[in-house]
Amino acid sequence: MQHAFFRAGSLVAGLIFAAVIGGTAAIAGGATQDISGVWSVTKYDPRLQIVGGGALPLNAMGKEAYAKNRAGLRDGSIVDAARKFCVPDGIPRVLASPYPFEIIQAPPGQVTIIYELNHQIRTVAMDKKQKTYEELVPYPFYNGHSVGRWEGDTLVVDTAGFNEKTFLDAAGAPHSDMLTTVERWRKISPTQLENVVTITDPYYYTRPFQVRFVYNQSNVRLEDYVCGEPHRDISKIQGVRIPPQVPADDPTFK
Amino acid sequence: MASAVALACVIAVPVAGRNGATAAEAIPNFMPDTTTGWVLDRSNHDDLLPPASGPGPVTFDKAHPYIPNGGGRQPTYRVADLTNPILQPWAKEQMQKANDQVLAGKMPFRARELCWPIGVPGFAIFSAVEPTYFLQKKDEIVLVNYGGPEIRRVRLNVPHSANPKPSWYGESVGHYENGDTLVIDTIGVTTRTFVDNFRTPHTERLHVIERYKLAGDGKAIEISLEVDDPGAFTTKWSARQRWVRAQIPMTETHCNENNEDIFNLYPVPSPKAEKPDF
Repeated sequence: MQHAFFRAGSLVAGLIFAAVIGGTAAIAGGATQDISGVWSVTKYDPRLQIVGGGALPLNAMGKEAYAKNRAGLRDGSIVDAARKFCVPDGIPRVLASPYPFEIIQAPPGQVTIIYELNHQIRTVAMDKKQKTYEELVPYPFYNGHSVGRWEGDTLVVDTAGFNEKTFLDAAGAPHSDMLTTVERWRKISPTQLENVVTITDPYYYTRPFQVRFVYNQSNVRLEDYVCGEPHRDISKIQGVRIPPQVPADDPTFK
Repeated sequence: MASAVALACVIAVPVAGRNGATAAEAIPNFMPDTTTGWVLDRSNHDDLLPPASGPGPVTFDKAHPYIPNGGGRQPTYRVADLTNPILQPWAKEQMQKANDQVLAGKMPFRARELCWPIGVPGFAIFSAVEPTYFLQKKDEIVLVNYGGPEIRRVRLNVPHSANPKPSWYGESVGHYENGDTLVIDTIGVTTRTFVDNFRTPHTERLHVIERYKLAGDGKAIEISLEVDDPGAFTTKWSARQRWVRAQIPMTETHCNENNEDIFNLYPVPSPKAEKPDF
């Protein structure tokens, strides 16, 4: 679904961050910092917690969509495809994943983020100009299209071009294809990484808002992840609730 | 131009040798830029190919030729040639059942089609079209095939652990050789995988050595495989394949989308979680 009425508005509001991205300016902005390695979120929350507190700034359509999503997820009429079929979670939901992820600052000109959960891969094209809404609409991705640049010690990742198959969080916070996110990743200690995310979606929200995630450096190696199979123990991560598990059938391949 | 490509594909960096010594060594650069991926050279077929000499992989039954998709002819499913002398009787018996199902018109299992990991050595032929990328770190290489995406990791210049826990891609360790080759040694692959798309089984004793050699001025990778499994095969055997360079950026794909088996055709379901992890 595309929201034609808002399309023009999205060029102005939704992609406002894209306007500030310029290749050479970005290169001059800061040298590459080393944020590579495996990271694990310090705590998990199924709901987005807004920086500064308060409720999600939903507009009338957003409130309606949120109520519908929550009811549907509860009664099963809406399938949480990210959990059932293990398709990508979308941004910012994947940023809250209690499974570890790895940042690889390679190949040259790209930051690659691999999430153990659902073996999701994000690529951040460094020092490239973000495409316009119209350019991205034909190619909607679960995790959007990301471009990045260094601003001092901070990796700034601008993402747009999302499909509408994901929620902003596990509780069903809605978003449209006008969603844009700006992530600001930086080390806040030798072993901790912070990501402050500005979320803009004028279709469902009255204003941009921010959420913040903090990750600890981890010494684990990412493992294979296949939907429906037993995975690593994440029960120790604050906020994680493990639902009763049904033993997975072992499909007979023979 | 060709020489420029070749230069881009070899970089010299200090690396730790297998014996722990550090030396400046030229290592092959399999991903010099954001768009360099590697796809199967389909002119070679999309299965493991026989070696120049010696025991080789299972291929198709000549009475039922395998015709891959995309060649302008009606494609067929694979029927394995069970006369291949590498197969132990139990493996042959198991594969006969799978052959019979195909000949009865059933859809056979193929990891890529049903979004399951393929394991090793099948990774070399996992996808006929989607590229594989090499994310080369100092101490590890992450191989990504966008047909899943499937991800496997190769630790560099370390020995195997004593008893690796079986997993879909096993425990892979590797090193560079001669400035143009990545050698990967893999054990610990779960017996839920097959070694190929002919449903050739293996045991927990599977041991695979892969060699990925840059060739053709950096425009191709010649792959050679050595496979040993005294539990499944009568002898060690080897195989080859070839990937060619494709300038395709890493783009989001996800196999497990819209894969409900509504016509009840799948030999096994695609991965699905009845209950969420968290």
